[in-house]
Formats: sequence, C-alpha cells, structure tokens
Amino acid sequence: MAAQLDAYYNGFVRTFGNVLFAVSLFVVWGLLTLVGVIVDQGKDAAVYFGSYPAPIARASLRLSFDNVYHSPWYVGIIGLILVSLAVCTFKRVIPARLPPLRPVKIEKIPLHASIEVPGEEAGVRARLEAFFRTRGWQLRTRAFDGTEWTFADKHNWARRGVLVAHIGFVIIAAGTTLYWWKGFSGETVVVTGQSVEIPQTKAIVRLDKFAYTITPVLTKGGLVYQPTDYVSHVTVTGKDGIARPMVVRVNHPIDVDSTLYYQASYGFAMRFKVTHNGKDVPALSQLLLLEGQGLEIPGTRLSLSYDNFVPTVDKTTQMPSADPRVTNPAVVISVANGGASEGTVLAMLHSWIDLGGGWRVVPQSPVLYSGFQYRYDPGIPLVGIGALVLVAGLLISFYFLPARLYARVDPAAGGRWTVGLAATTVKGYDMFDSQFKDLVAEFSAETQGASHR
Amino acid sequence: MNGHLQADELLMIVAIASYVVGALALLVYFFSREEWLRNLGVPLAIVGCAAQFGQLGVRYALTGIWPLLNLYGSLSLFAAMSVFIFLLMAWRYKAWYAGGFVLALAAIALAYGVTWNEGTMPAVPSLQSYWAKIHVPIVVSSYAAFLVAFVFSVIYLIKYYAERRIALAGTRSGELAAWLDTLPSLPALDVTVYRAIAIGLPLISIGIITGAAWAKEAWGAYWQWDPKETAALATWIVYLAYMHLHTRMSWRGLRTNWVSVAGFMLVIFTYLGVNIWISGLHSYKT
Repeated sequence: MAAQLDAYYNGFVRTFGNVLFAVSLFVVWGLLTLVGVIVDQGKDAAVYFGSYPAPIARASLRLSFDNVYHSPWYVGIIGLILVSLAVCTFKRVIPARLPPLRPVKIEKIPLHASIEVPGEEAGVRARLEAFFRTRGWQLRTRAFDGTEWTFADKHNWARRGVLVAHIGFVIIAAGTTLYWWKGFSGETVVVTGQSVEIPQTKAIVRLDKFAYTITPVLTKGGLVYQPTDYVSHVTVTGKDGIARPMVVRVNHPIDVDSTLYYQASYGFAMRFKVTHNGKDVPALSQLLLLEGQGLEIPGTRLSLSYDNFVPTVDKTTQMPSADPRVTNPAVVISVANGGASEGTVLAMLHSWIDLGGGWRVVPQSPVLYSGFQYRYDPGIPLVGIGALVLVAGLLISFYFLPARLYARVDPAAGGRWTVGLAATTVKGYDMFDSQFKDLVAEFSAETQGASHR
Repeated sequence: MNGHLQADELLMIVAIASYVVGALALLVYFFSREEWLRNLGVPLAIVGCAAQFGQLGVRYALTGIWPLLNLYGSLSLFAAMSVFIFLLMAWRYKAWYAGGFVLALAAIALAYGVTWNEGTMPAVPSLQSYWAKIHVPIVVSSYAAFLVAFVFSVIYLIKYYAERRIALAGTRSGELAAWLDTLPSLPALDVTVYRAIAIGLPLISIGIITGAAWAKEAWGAYWQWDPKETAALATWIVYLAYMHLHTRMSWRGLRTNWVSVAGFMLVIFTYLGVNIWISGLHSYKT
C-alpha cells in the first residue's frame, strides 16, 4: 500500500514538476483566454445562434465558451497551473539554488579552456584566485581524491529569481483570495436629489448634482463629440454619521470607511405624465424611470418601456443625431400589449403619445442620474506586494546570470602549469559563451607568458 | 498653432524618410555586408528615432494632451521604441545586420499610424489619469521589444532552414554558404532573441500590472476580462511559455524561435486586431 502511494506520489511529482507539462498548461490557458477574446462573453444564447452556425453556437454554449473565464475549464486550468507552480518550486527551483560543489570532467563541458601558466603551483593558484576575486566571483576550494578544485560563483543569489517570481504569484493569489473571502462589491444608481443606502456598509450616498462635459472637436474625419468629464457631487454619510460633501470622477474614486466608490455611468431618468381621458394619474406620473425601466397601465394589458434618452434629434431628418449634448431632446419608448410589441416611437419631450383607450403619456423633463461602483477590497496591499515581488523575480531571473566556474591546476611540461577552466550557467552555455571567451582571454593576458587552447 | 503643427508633421516626415532610406540601406547591407551601407543606415536610424521622440514631445508640449492616447500616437511610440531597443541591442551585441528589417517594420507601423491621425482630441475621462503616462509607454515598449525579438527569430529561422538545405545538398560552398557565414551562429542568434524577450516580458508584466492598477482606480476592479486585457494576458502566457521552454535544451533554438514568431503574431492581434475589430473598454482607435 505504502509502495503504491509512493509510486502515485512520484508520478504526480514527475508530471507536475515537468516544465513541458507546465508549458502545456500555459498553452491551454492561453487558448482558452483567446476564446474569450474572440467569442462575445455573457450574451444571451440567441446572440450566439445569430452570430455563428448552429453547431458552433451549440458547442460554444455547451463548452461554456459564452462565459469561459468562469467556466470549470478555466478555473481548473488555473488550479492545475498553481499546483504545477508549487511542485516546480519545491522540487526544481529550491533545490537548483543550492548546486553542490563537486568535480566535473572539464573537457566534457562545452564551455571549457586550458591555459598554460608559468611559475610555482602556489603562485599559479594565487593568481587564479586573485583574477576571479577582483572580478567579483565568490571563490571556494575543495579537495577531491587529492586534487584541489576551485569553484567560482557569480550572481549565485540570482538563482533565487525564479523562486521570487513564483512567490510573487502566490502572494497575488493570496491577495485576490482575501478579496473573495472578506471583500464585497456592488453597483448602485442615484438620481439627482435622491439618496441610496449601501447594503453592506449602511453608508448613505446622496447625489447633489451630476454634470458632464462634451467637447465638440473638428477632426480630419469630421466633427466628433468627445466626452471629457463626468463628475458627481455627492454627500456621503459614513459610519461616524457625519455627512460629508465629496466629488467622484472617473479615475478619482472616493474612500468612505475603506470602501471605494467609483464613477461608473450616468443617464437620464424620466417622468411620464400619464392621463386617462384627460385626467392626470398621479401614481404613474410621479414614477421616475431609468433607461430600460417601464410601467404598466392599470386596467389594461398595455405596458410602456422607456428604452433610452436621445439628447438631440436632428431637426431636418427628425432622427437621433450624433450630438450627445442636450439641445433637442426626445425619448425612445416601446409599447406592448399583453407582452406583444405594439411598436417603438421616438417622442419629443412634452409631446403626447396616444396609447388608445383614452390613455396618453407625455414625457417630462429629464433628471440626471449617476451610477457608482463600490468595492471593499482588503487584498489590495497583498496584490501590490505580490506584483512587486513578481516583477523583481522576473528582473533577477532575466538580468542576472548565475554562473559557476570550475578550475583545477595540473602540472604541465617544462615546469609550467595547466589551468583547466569550465563554466556552467542556469540558462545553458550559449548565454555565457562570449563572457567565457573574454574571461579566458583576460586570464591568459594577465598570466604573462601563458598560452591557451 | 499651424506653424507648430507643421513642425510636428515635419519631424514625422523626417522620421519616415529616415526609416525608409535607412531600411533600404540596411537591408542591402544584410545581404552584401558593404560597410558603407551600414554607415549610412545606422545614422539614419538614429535620426529617425530622435525625430520621432522629438515629434511626440513637440505634440505634447503644444497641445498639452498626452500623445499616446490614440492609435496614431501609440504606433508612433511603438516604431520609435522598436528602433531604440534595436539600436541598444545592436550596439551592445554587434547586431546591425538586423536593422533593415526593424526599420522597415517601424516605417510600416509609422505609416499605418499616420492613417489614424485625426488631429488633436481631448482625452475621454477614463484616459485622464497619470496611469496613462506609465501604463501605455510600458506596454508599447514591450511590444517593441517583441518586434525586435521577432526580427531576430526570423533571421534565425532563415539561417536554420538555409543551413539545413545546404546540409541536405551535402556541400558547403557557394554564395549562400558564404553569406550565411557572415551571420552569427544559430546559438548566438537564439541568445539575442532571448535577450530581446527578456526586455519585453518584464515590461509586459509591469504593463499588465499597471493596467490592472489603473483599472482598479477607474472601474473598481483589477480585471474586467476586457478583450484587450485578456489578449494581453494570452500574449504574456505565450512569452512565459517561451521562457520556460528556453530552459529546456531540447526546445531551445528552432522551436523556441517559432514560439517567438507566434508570440509576435499575437502581439499584433492584441495591439491592433483587438482595437480595430473587437469593441471593449480599450476601444480608443482615434
């Protein structure tokens, strides 16, 4: 039983500690990520059947490609990557940062050289050590079977770069987990002059005023209306019960009791004066509808939906204009009878629409509303630290090349000594090729009368 | 103002002209190894690059609007950074032979960017952030480093397949073999590709992180699964895979260079394809 478990464990470690397995996971992760870029996310099934041939649409829906980033495949692959990362860290990265000092067959290592140096053995060794020490190499000597070896290491500390990068990932994962565990977020809409209570914090947000700026710009392609500012003037009452006036802009969230509030959207709320046989119906006329909301006409099967606000209707074509400034406003209204659409109409403000049966509606002046996102995220500091650690790990890994030189001194003919040198790095031999050649050339030049091959 | 804008456009014309002539000179140098062509092409690359940075600076100074907030400005920086990173690498590793390809691609990027020039426009609210001055240049610079890596990978692949053809023919003589000998060895080219990606990968990592920080400030969440974000993530994954594969002796070389080529195709999709074909939070074409 124990042997079988051992075999399973070894198989697991062998598979998840394999770099090629990790890369295979990356490939699947990358492909799934691209699926989400290409396939519209979170749309109604009809959208996919409208966009793709039926078999592809069906397959996309069955494989959860309509919501791929939250699909079991996507979450699963990230989970597998994290497991692989952990196994690689403990089985490959950590052991690799402590390479043992042991003799090698110098001639078998691709980066090797032999330099003949004149003088006494002790003198040659001293010159060898001085040469590397002055160039920042950390030296250690060991004797194996009566032969003294010199080991020179440079940027040995940088062997921890990959470990540092992996730790960065773990810290980021911890930060995001902290948000899922303790944090919350939500959206709310506040109409000018009204207040809302945030359910999680009980903070009260009142919208005093919302304003937006749209700047007409004459470009080479024609007139463009560029939005340049969205600003909500709010009064927020937090835990301390004190009402504070604050300003929320895009990119400038406000902080209330560690919960951040973001400017997210805006729109035009509408009241529709509803009359029946010429008499006002106050219960309906006082309703304030946001875009997308509607009202039911009592005693009938009629319903009215306020689809969207049109800031400017072109006076010539009587069609919505591209100008988003409110100059000649109208609303788009859909009417349904018993759930069946009766049509959509573009109605100017203060003009009446006859719904039949004595019912009329008249769009009144719009009231601006502002949409806010709010979020409490205690994981922010951890994610920030993790990101810094990750980048530090990448920089260490890429810009500092840990290298080890193996040197041994052997007697040569004519009272000279042969210094055998070989080099290994964590990134193969090609990366260090030119530096090794330079080192050998410099060492030859410094040990006068020496020659190398 | 017109006079100033003329200065801006003049610098752009200088840059494009320098790149085109420089690219021609260095492309011929790539095949002929005539030193005078290199001596002509390299200064032109420097002049073009300087003119581009000058043009971006002049544009910012005159309009007060950060010039990288549209495709025209960002492609301009992309071209300039591609040439700049190439110049640094070529100077450090004696890699001038690749200059013709880099300058040609920079000229194409710049010319394409000019077609998106709609004049000066104020930034939309979501782009009015100090992050625009950090995130955009970093990401664009990473793309530029990947372009340089792509060029060296293509040269690697040209050499690899030409060498293989010669090996199959069984005789190493003639003009092709002589020309191939003027290029660095395949391992040396592979190391150059690695070094370019080692510039790009930390930059795109920092770019994604700063983008997430910006998104957090603007929209309240690090990550919105916006097409641009996810395409950048896919690009990052490909180069991460490259780095992992490069640790394997058996994958280093031909296969990792194909990964580098595929990675750059994805960079183009992320940079231009997503902006142009897929709408999302990053749809700031003009």
